[in-house]
Amino acid sequence: MDSAFWVPCMPIKLFIYYLKCSNTSEHKELFIFHGCMGAMTRRRSAAAAGSNMADLNKAAREDFYNEVLSPSELFAARSRSRKIPVRGQKDFFPDDSDEQRQRLQQSLDEHWSLISEERVERLGNLVKGVWMPRRRLVELQSPAGKFWQTMGFSADGRQYLLPEEALYLMECGSVQIFHEDLPISIQDGYEMFLSADAVTLQQFQVFGHLKRLGYVVHRFDPSAEPSPYARQLNLPLSRGRAGRALKRRRSSSPTQTCSSEHAQEEDMEEEQVSSERQPAPAEENDPGTSAGEGRSWWTSEQHVDPKQTHSSAPSRWDFSGIAFPDLGSGEGLVAPPDPALLPGGLSVGVCDVASWRQKVNLRRVRESAREQRREELQSRRMQEWSREVQRCRNWVEYQELLERRGAEHQGRPAHLWSGEVTPLHDPAQPVTTAELLEKIRVIKPSHLLDGASRLSGSDPWRISFNVYQPDSAADFKKSKPGRPYARMCVCSFHGPVPDLRVIKQLASQSGDVPVVFAVVDYGDISFYTFKDFQLPQDVHP
Amino acid sequence: MEDLSVPRREELQPDSSPVVGISVCDSAPLIWRVQDLKVVRSGGLVGALLGSLPRTPRQNGRLGRPLLLLPEEERLLREGPGAAVLPRPGGERGAELKRRFEEEQTSSQEEQSVLALQDRKAALLRAMTSSLTEEAQQDRLGALDQNFVFPRSALAVQLSTARAGLHYCPEARSFLEAEQPIKTQPSPSSRFQVFRDLRGRGFFLTSAGKFGGDFLVYPGDPLRFHAHFIAVCVESDRPVGVLDLLAVARLGSNVKKTVLLCSPVADGDVRYTSLQWSGMV
Repeated sequence: MDSAFWVPCMPIKLFIYYLKCSNTSEHKELFIFHGCMGAMTRRRSAAAAGSNMADLNKAAREDFYNEVLSPSELFAARSRSRKIPVRGQKDFFPDDSDEQRQRLQQSLDEHWSLISEERVERLGNLVKGVWMPRRRLVELQSPAGKFWQTMGFSADGRQYLLPEEALYLMECGSVQIFHEDLPISIQDGYEMFLSADAVTLQQFQVFGHLKRLGYVVHRFDPSAEPSPYARQLNLPLSRGRAGRALKRRRSSSPTQTCSSEHAQEEDMEEEQVSSERQPAPAEENDPGTSAGEGRSWWTSEQHVDPKQTHSSAPSRWDFSGIAFPDLGSGEGLVAPPDPALLPGGLSVGVCDVASWRQKVNLRRVRESAREQRREELQSRRMQEWSREVQRCRNWVEYQELLERRGAEHQGRPAHLWSGEVTPLHDPAQPVTTAELLEKIRVIKPSHLLDGASRLSGSDPWRISFNVYQPDSAADFKKSKPGRPYARMCVCSFHGPVPDLRVIKQLASQSGDVPVVFAVVDYGDISFYTFKDFQLPQDVHP
Repeated sequence: MEDLSVPRREELQPDSSPVVGISVCDSAPLIWRVQDLKVVRSGGLVGALLGSLPRTPRQNGRLGRPLLLLPEEERLLREGPGAAVLPRPGGERGAELKRRFEEEQTSSQEEQSVLALQDRKAALLRAMTSSLTEEAQQDRLGALDQNFVFPRSALAVQLSTARAGLHYCPEARSFLEAEQPIKTQPSPSSRFQVFRDLRGRGFFLTSAGKFGGDFLVYPGDPLRFHAHFIAVCVESDRPVGVLDLLAVARLGSNVKKTVLLCSPVADGDVRYTSLQWSGMV
């Protein structure tokens, strides 16, 4: 037998009719027969109140799922409260106390009353829109309201809304959307507007979340962004970029720099060698004028005995026995040399060098101790040099000796610099601390956008929205939105974490705007972002 | 570790709850109707609300319908009392419905106009003190009757959340399911086993992505109680690295919840290990 009873329900004046059917199966289920428009059935049910039980049951069943408000209810909705009850403190552990049960029931009742409230608006406040399935847009048929400042677009003289914007405005109670001349419910909106190939449910969740916070959210259009190349052309090079480029030029082509360095070194060598060559003859002159030491290694024979170079026969003279004339001391007259030393038939008289002697400075120079030491060192060096020169057997070796001496004089000892592995840096060269640090650095710094322009997009990861700050909503212009605050990429907790490749590709697509990953977890949204970060250097170039 | 104070998992009793209608949107199971939400809640399944709250749509603290079900919750519903995918509206929208809608609008406008007039009269009466004579009052009311106009733009209209006009027979439920298979995400069976076991012990479960786990375990309704555990599903035969354990234990201790490592074993039972950060003894 059927049994039925009335159960009074919530603030919405609906009576539910709870039916227990025992004739169908063990599972007690409710049969639902529902007409199309609830209001109609209400009237029918009221009219059928007098008739038999079955009709009453049927009507009541129809009412069970009825969420349509009667006109009186609609009218009464004008004076609804607009406040949300504040949630109190939670309990820690459930004990079966009455107090807890009561509080739970109160919370639940509050919860249901909020959830089951239906949206009621004045028809004059609603903007009428029509859903166009083929174009997947909502066309507005009455003038747009305040939301037009940040949402929607116009085309062909008509105003359109994107599906996610339309759905959000429906939830706010600002627009009423019609499809085939009938108003659609929010459930219809979700099912028709959201799909995996257009706006997904997760993307709409993120969109709604941000809009409710007040942000201005637009769809991201990758083709509207300037490519990295275009950006390079149009924007002035920032200092960082120029610095990076300079660094690259220095470090990336080692062969180039090495060769340039070599060239530089060679130049300097040449200079130094040539400058050395000048003091060398000068030094060679000195012994000639200094008081009587009788150097016997005067092999070049340039100054004193030019005629001796003309002798073709190898000299078998004992040079150690031939003394140079002392031009400094004495009266100023130089005795003629041994005729045996002269080529045949030449007779030389006494040479008067008095005029030359006047040109010689014989004044004893009062040297300080430092200068004396310096002179000593120099003379010692000259002795060493002379010994080394003596060891050379031919001009080639002499030139090598000069090169070696030149290198050492610059501080480049051969055992360090002539092998395969050379020192990183020549101490005599000027270098800034930053360059030196660069030379000894093992880990090269890399930047997020290195090589990013070569990457192509991969399908599941794409930037969905541009997000603009809420405080600029008053003077926001849809035609010139300006630089977004962030760009959103929507993903799920159950999917993979984005890897470096994805991050690079999205960052390069986004330009200088940070990319935020909105991770959706069945109703919870968390926002994550990756920042490009350089380790600090205590070095200022 | 077994908690003997909580009763063991029992067979889900087929209670006297009606079949819940699930609507699928972008392969996610959503519940729209308030009665369905109540049934689901009374079955101990919490879900997550996604939409704006009608009373205050521009805030994120309290959200409204639809309710999104976890894949485990949806599977449990289908195995238990019963849930079926609601059919999409087919060619129902036709001239008939349009006619009805217009009729309904006009009748609603008439009724509301009457109510508005009554309301205005009552306000006028309240405003008029007894200083005026009875005749003057009647005159005023008469004038109101004459001049009162209830424009179309003042009509209060409902923007329905759930779709009206649904009908289906539970006897045809199996037929419906066959016709429209639920194309939702399949849940890995280990997670479902853990979910079913914990639910059977009377706990309420929600998703815990933010806490680094699989489920948040509440001892009672989440409206009134804080969560006690973060449940992490671990395969019983797979080794777990110590660093992972440390990470999850740290997370749990920071939010003052116990981490519960759950491993379903072959015979349908689930083994639990709890991790709690305590000092050195």
